[in-house]
Amino acid sequence: MNSFAEINEKLIESTIEIFTGMVMMEISVAGEQLEKLGTLKKSITGMVGLAGTHKGLLAVHFPQPVALAVTSNFLGMEVEEINDDVQDAIGEIANMLGGNLKTILSDRGKDIQLSLPSTIFGDEYAFSSQAEVDQIILTFQAAAGSFTVEVELER
Amino acid sequence: MAKNVLLVDDSSTMRKIISRSLRQAGLDFGEIYEAGDGQEALAMLEKESIDIVLSDINMPNMNGIEFLREKANRPGIKDIPVFMISTETGDDIIGEAKSLGAIGALKKPFTPDKVNEVLGPLM
Repeated sequence: MNSFAEINEKLIESTIEIFTGMVMMEISVAGEQLEKLGTLKKSITGMVGLAGTHKGLLAVHFPQPVALAVTSNFLGMEVEEINDDVQDAIGEIANMLGGNLKTILSDRGKDIQLSLPSTIFGDEYAFSSQAEVDQIILTFQAAAGSFTVEVELER
Repeated sequence: MAKNVLLVDDSSTMRKIISRSLRQAGLDFGEIYEAGDGQEALAMLEKESIDIVLSDINMPNMNGIEFLREKANRPGIKDIPVFMISTETGDDIIGEAKSLGAIGALKKPFTPDKVNEVLGPLM
């Protein structure tokens, strides 16, 4: 397994590759957040679970206006409310990031299984893990606002 | 003659993106059909005239590997080529897909240029 610094670096590369190559949106890394995320307000979260040699999850948290901008760019059409298209697009971004994380964590992704993506959204919710985990939280900046990529891996 | 394409992916977003990438890549293709999982894809292959399938692997109900396995047992459709487009590009899973008849694989995320490079020769 790569060191956490290497995982950070590759996760940043993957996120930027997905956004510039597929979402057609320029983003930059705004930094690594050292504290846990607090309550998420008017947000949507896409996530995938990891099982096998590495257990945990990858989640990507978007404030709703940023999620709308991301989905509009991704689909090439204006989206004005959180609907099935937005949930699907945000889930797919989590799915692609999860696929890349598999490859980062283990040689060519062997022995790690990825769940199907899921999404949650609401006016106010908290996102936390009950297990002892190592955590990476990366914040990215887009023109529409910032969003966060979070990885939790069981120790 | 332009080929009819079946896109198999549980994400409607991804089906739209692949469809858009095929157009942006300037590839010559006929009709584009869509299916949300392997079961829907099998039904579509039995019903429509499809020349090539672009399929995800990680899907509910029937995933891409199960789809390849089931398709291989159906004489009327078993020879239609399938190309995998997935976040799953580990040697083990792609090796399994190829052993079941997949003719290649493209990793998500991808760019229209990559789609052109990889799928152009198949169209």
